[in-house]
Amino acid sequence: MPNRLHPALIGFAVLVYLFLMGPLVIVFGAALSDTTFLTFPPQGLTLRWFERIFEIGAFRRTIVTSVEIAFLATALALLIGIPAAYALNRYRIQLPAWLSTLFVLPILVPEIVLGFSLLRLVAVGQSAPIFLTLLIGHTLIVLPYCVRVISASLASFDFSIEEAAISLGSRPIKTFFTIVLPNVRSGVIAAFILAFITSINDVSVSLFLTGPGISTLPIQILAHVEQFFDPVIASVSVLLMLLTVAVMAIVERTLGLTFLAK
Amino acid sequence: MTHPLAVEHLTAHYGTTKVLDDLSLSVGAGELVSLLGASGCGKTTTLRLIAGFLEPTAGTITLGGEDLTRLPAYKRHIGLVFQNYALFPHLSVLDNVAFGLKQRGIATAERNKRARAMLERVGLDQLADRLPGALSGGQKQRVALARALVIEPPLLMFDEPLSNLDAKLRVDMRVEIRQLQRANNTTAVYVTHDQEEAFSISDRVAIMHQGRIMQLDTPEVLYQRPANAFVARFVGFENLIPMKVTARDGDDVTAQAPGGVALALPKARFGDIPDDFVLAARADGLAVTADPDAKGLPATLGLRTYLGRAYQYQCETEAGPLIANGPLSSPLELGSVARLVPVPDQCCVLRVE
Amino acid sequence: MLKRFAGWTLSAPATTLVVVFLVLPVAATITATFIEPAGIIAPYQAFFSSGFRRTVLWRTLEISLITTIISVAVGFLTAYVVARSPGRIKSLLIIAAVFPLLTGVVVRSFAWLIILGRNGILNNFLIGMGITDEPFSMLYTQGSVIVAMVYLFVPLMVLTLVGVLENIPDDVVQAAASLGASPAATFRQVIFPLAVPGLIVGAVLVFTGSFTAYATPQLLGGESQMVMGTLMYQRAMVAFDWVSASTIAAIMVVVTVAVVLFMTRAARRLNPMAT
Repeated sequence: MPNRLHPALIGFAVLVYLFLMGPLVIVFGAALSDTTFLTFPPQGLTLRWFERIFEIGAFRRTIVTSVEIAFLATALALLIGIPAAYALNRYRIQLPAWLSTLFVLPILVPEIVLGFSLLRLVAVGQSAPIFLTLLIGHTLIVLPYCVRVISASLASFDFSIEEAAISLGSRPIKTFFTIVLPNVRSGVIAAFILAFITSINDVSVSLFLTGPGISTLPIQILAHVEQFFDPVIASVSVLLMLLTVAVMAIVERTLGLTFLAK
Repeated sequence: MTHPLAVEHLTAHYGTTKVLDDLSLSVGAGELVSLLGASGCGKTTTLRLIAGFLEPTAGTITLGGEDLTRLPAYKRHIGLVFQNYALFPHLSVLDNVAFGLKQRGIATAERNKRARAMLERVGLDQLADRLPGALSGGQKQRVALARALVIEPPLLMFDEPLSNLDAKLRVDMRVEIRQLQRANNTTAVYVTHDQEEAFSISDRVAIMHQGRIMQLDTPEVLYQRPANAFVARFVGFENLIPMKVTARDGDDVTAQAPGGVALALPKARFGDIPDDFVLAARADGLAVTADPDAKGLPATLGLRTYLGRAYQYQCETEAGPLIANGPLSSPLELGSVARLVPVPDQCCVLRVE
Repeated sequence: MLKRFAGWTLSAPATTLVVVFLVLPVAATITATFIEPAGIIAPYQAFFSSGFRRTVLWRTLEISLITTIISVAVGFLTAYVVARSPGRIKSLLIIAAVFPLLTGVVVRSFAWLIILGRNGILNNFLIGMGITDEPFSMLYTQGSVIVAMVYLFVPLMVLTLVGVLENIPDDVVQAAASLGASPAATFRQVIFPLAVPGLIVGAVLVFTGSFTAYATPQLLGGESQMVMGTLMYQRAMVAFDWVSASTIAAIMVVVTVAVVLFMTRAARRLNPMAT
């Protein structure tokens, strides 16, 4: 194209990307350092900090809790989010406009306020088990992703296809599973992934909803950093980054990476 | 201000695919030439090369003697009307039209005056303060036209400007475009895939295929005397029949069609006829008759359809399947045998390629 | 038979969850601050009469504002380059922005601990270069919090704005060129005005995100750079002063909602595509 980018602009973008990638590379290097303190470039190479993660009980337990909560919250949010997204698109005329705003509220309301309110009203007020409260909190914060992403794919879905299936004798519920759902498959996958990763990485809601015996991995990392400054944290971080890579690989396999560009 | 456009030996690639192959085209001052063809034929590429949005791999583009080939788009001063109008959504109709004048450093009062005058010419002066989002398709197209014309460009180009409008409006707009172009005597290049539109609006039409111009001529010549089989099919010669000359005597040439039938073709209509040639005929160019003695191709009639002015038949012949029309007065049945008689005025002679 | 209510029925579970576990608890937290025996606005008087808490509020606003301005500027220029890059490079750049975005806040903030710490890379580098003998204390300053916050939000900004810029049709940009606008004039008169609504939306995300952040200021600001989020946690979980924590929560909600409403209205007013 005759309209070329100014070299200074390109140089600036390169610097920005170095700024974005650098710290993550540094974490990676620090995780491999054969020292008891965090340093970069790594001095000596070792994988012992990765083994060390699993020797620390708190890490073992919180990893399990985080994965459990992420799976359950995502599943729950999809279970209630898919019908909601469907209703918002299919029955747009009979539903008020504020309903779709309601489903975005968990993003709009500061998470830390949500976490604190759940602690006050649900965990303490209703003496609900902390695990259950944590699950509710996570379901809430991932719900907007489920509703919005699936809504977006339903927006381009032609509902006359569904009517065609019903006119051919398919029952409505069956039609939903055989006709509608397969056509928004990519939306469901994307919603699942976004929700899962959001839950795994969450700090602000979990912050108030952890107690003795129950905590999530990010909260455990915060607690650990306050006492120790060893490469174990870097190696946990690398584990989380590997999870991100895995997630992106799944997206690439199923939807193509251009999907992320949207 | 009007200048001739000359495009010489233009070649262009998208990556490694050649999309334009040694294309030459000259448009006289004040002339309107259409580039006509199916999508992917290179017509839009040619327009974008002239506009400066693409760079050619070879060839030159000159306008009024000035070489534009390496000039950036914004220095070419070519008025461009886009398929999707490409109005600036954040600017009022007036500011849209005045945009080009602003780039030329013309003072606000003066450019608004000129923009308003141009809006008046396209009948939109009452809408000057609206945003483009509030306009109908036809109004948007008029704004786009006004915006391109107000800078008084030496060359005006249209990229399928009417394809998003409904049929009635399309006809009105093309008359309006032609009138404005004539009145300003602006050299113009018009890209379209619509044959009727191209023929009705243009001084000359270039029919394009696979990055090359197949024929460049006036609509009349293209319609009646296509130069090759591609153009013949394009302008509606559905039947292409290979023929061999058997005798040349006086005013007629006698030629043999597949199946051995001899047909007489008047020299006055067809001019020079090579020994081997293709007779191209529209459906109207082959008259269907039940008369077994008529000098025509023997055919078995297939499906008959009603066209309002005639019946059309799908025919099986020695020369393959053909389409021919017969009179309303004597409908013929499926499966009957008939003769297809060439009507000289509706036929033309093509060289074998 | 129940067709008229089908929409309501299908959305009922999600609606119930949000109303019961978000709207009601948050509303209760906020109302609690107005029904104190000491008087209806007593908790707020207490908050604003404390010099320390006023400083915290002011510092949080300041950090959020600076973070927003830097992130928007850096994000916009970068997004412009990304959007104008050729196909393959563009998708690579987008992936490179998605990766940090999907990596958690804790990990990304922690990375800056390694860089800015007393024995961190930056200090080692400065000492190694002979620029300084003594390590600087860069951690637990307003600067360290801002750097990490900008780091947090630039990818979000880039991705939001690439979307915005790609929505500007190519032919509109070409139309500007055909009318004689130089690349710089096109940027100023066409691309930037069309991107403004997107810039505002992005700015809202960054501002509210920074204003309510916890992990980053906790890790990089600590006690000495307390912000609203860390102060709220401290009041609730260390001092067990829930009234005071609720007051902070209420202020956060009010500021967030006010910023969102004001800015989205501004974005809508400035958005020509909406009409």
